[in-house]
Amino acid sequence: MRSIFSKKNLTKNEMFVVYIIIALSVVISLANSAFLSLSTVFGTSRSMLITMIFALCEMAIIVSGGIDVSFPAIASFSLYFTVTAMNKAHIDNLIFAFVLAGVLGLLWGTINAVLIGKFKIPALIATLGTSSVANGATLVYSQGIEISNIPSSLDAVSQKFLFSVTNSMGGKSSLTVLVILPIVLCFFVHWVLKHTMLGRKIYAIGGDANAARITGINVVRTQFIVYMAAGLLTGIAGITNVILMRNANPSNLMGAEMMVIAAVVIGGTRITGGHGTVVGTVLGVLLITLVFNNLIMLGVPNYWQSFAVGAIIVLGTAITSLRAKRIALSAKI
Amino acid sequence: MEKLKNSFKSYDKNIISLLGIAVSIVIIMTIINPKFLSGNNISSMAFQFPEFGILCFGMMICLISGGIDLSLVGTANLSGIVAAAIIVGTGKTPGSIAIGLIAALAVGALCGLFNGYLIGQLHIPAMLVTLSGLQLYTGLGMVITKGPAITGLPESIQGIGNGSILGVIPYSLIIFALLAVGMNFILKYTIYGKQLSFMGFNESASRYAGINNLKVVMITYMLSGILAAIAGIIIISHYGSAKSDYGTSYTLLTLLIVVLGGVAPSGGKGKISGVVLAVVILQFISSAFNILRFNSFVKTIVWGLLLIIIMVVKSIIQAHPIKFKEKKL
Repeated sequence: MRSIFSKKNLTKNEMFVVYIIIALSVVISLANSAFLSLSTVFGTSRSMLITMIFALCEMAIIVSGGIDVSFPAIASFSLYFTVTAMNKAHIDNLIFAFVLAGVLGLLWGTINAVLIGKFKIPALIATLGTSSVANGATLVYSQGIEISNIPSSLDAVSQKFLFSVTNSMGGKSSLTVLVILPIVLCFFVHWVLKHTMLGRKIYAIGGDANAARITGINVVRTQFIVYMAAGLLTGIAGITNVILMRNANPSNLMGAEMMVIAAVVIGGTRITGGHGTVVGTVLGVLLITLVFNNLIMLGVPNYWQSFAVGAIIVLGTAITSLRAKRIALSAKI
Repeated sequence: MEKLKNSFKSYDKNIISLLGIAVSIVIIMTIINPKFLSGNNISSMAFQFPEFGILCFGMMICLISGGIDLSLVGTANLSGIVAAAIIVGTGKTPGSIAIGLIAALAVGALCGLFNGYLIGQLHIPAMLVTLSGLQLYTGLGMVITKGPAITGLPESIQGIGNGSILGVIPYSLIIFALLAVGMNFILKYTIYGKQLSFMGFNESASRYAGINNLKVVMITYMLSGILAAIAGIIIISHYGSAKSDYGTSYTLLTLLIVVLGGVAPSGGKGKISGVVLAVVILQFISSAFNILRFNSFVKTIVWGLLLIIIMVVKSIIQAHPIKFKEKKL
């Protein structure tokens, strides 16, 4: 126990996020006594679900020295075309849905990887481009209309729960079975980043691509793996969103990139690459989700939401950059 | 000297190829549909492009400085909203209009200075600062309007975007032309312009040469903010109302235009003439789509594809791949 509560651990970046989360929870529960309940836990995990998968991808990409703003468009593309294909071909199979969405996502991820790894286009410009193409294609095909009759095998999953509780008011709240997905992914990404050569390579190319190349790391191949894996997971997140929302909407994921980048940055991932942890990202996503879900409860009108997200990113990055500056200065002495 | 010659050559080549693209679009479109060269279409084009053309100048100087400004549309809308709120709120008198317009420019300058401070002083990557700036300013705009658009702008304001001299030359086009000349002067003949491109080429070298990088960055983003505010005023006068989600497609469009116009995304290089030509080309393409009755979503695809293609072509043409600043973008 001593080691967990040592001074080093208590002043880590991640611990600050924990403090803020605790403080925020206290404030929210003072404003609304119903906050401290299992149903809040279930509701929060449900809203964290998709953001969490996106954030894991974004974190790995930012650690590798890039950035991705195309994942909401890729997810929308994958989910819409998967559901359309299933409805048209009368294939009603859960595995097929995940595989097809994953493959579509993987294709877009590969395009990103080729543009960034092979043609050396700045990651932001490349993903802005692919985002525009993927989003445009989805909208042209769908005409902006959502599909509400999703295949029954997908619909069935949305009714599967891990736990259910009934509160004193008689309301029932349940934890969807889908939360297993981000939890497994968190452990997996953590293992890859911390305990495999691939993970070390991702940190290395993000820290200094040139130095990494000289030490014999194949920078382009590592970038390909990161962007392709992110594409695959993005596609899967897309179909998960279909199950969660019980419809296939071509545009409601759009705009998620800001929230995800905010969560990743708050979680201590340095936007310049080379630094970032899964634990921090989970905390970042939790904080952002809490802020988003409870702004209204705290009496903040919802037209403040965009401003709040922007302010959180600016504050989060400013604090990290000031800390980094201080550390850099102190090391010289 | 050798380098100077080379850069002169490549500049010429770039302009010539842009001219070639513009002319071929006009020829092809006139063959497909003669309406393209009708007075009606030309005048509607002249009314459309100044607002995003002005935004392009802002994007351009930020790209030259080695950064990027994704917050232009947010700044433009926020400035427009502030102007509209002041004008509508204080009785639409000539005095209140003047105050509103000045306030809009001030808001633009402040947004830019805020971006510039975070980028220059705290060394947060420009991309992240301006991306969250877009969110922040759009959000602020939404806070002011509380959602719906601010309407009821007086005729004199609407005249800026919709009026014209003798019904031929739109006022907004004149503003665009004046700004193009002004920006050209600033970039070519002022100390700031030289410092800007030095800093864009090599940040450390410019610091060692005694250039105050922070000052240059702050001026750049402030200028970009002011340009965005001018575009914002034209946008509200064009629509006759102010709202925080006007022109959301302009972010990608301006980046595309500026890159097409020969500004290096890695910083240091860029000519106003190239950007102006690229603005005109994109307006041609956009008009062509309208005449051919393409769905507006198709435009989104094409803008994205064009951006990717231009970047890929540039990357192939250059003997060595684009050396992008990994820490910056």
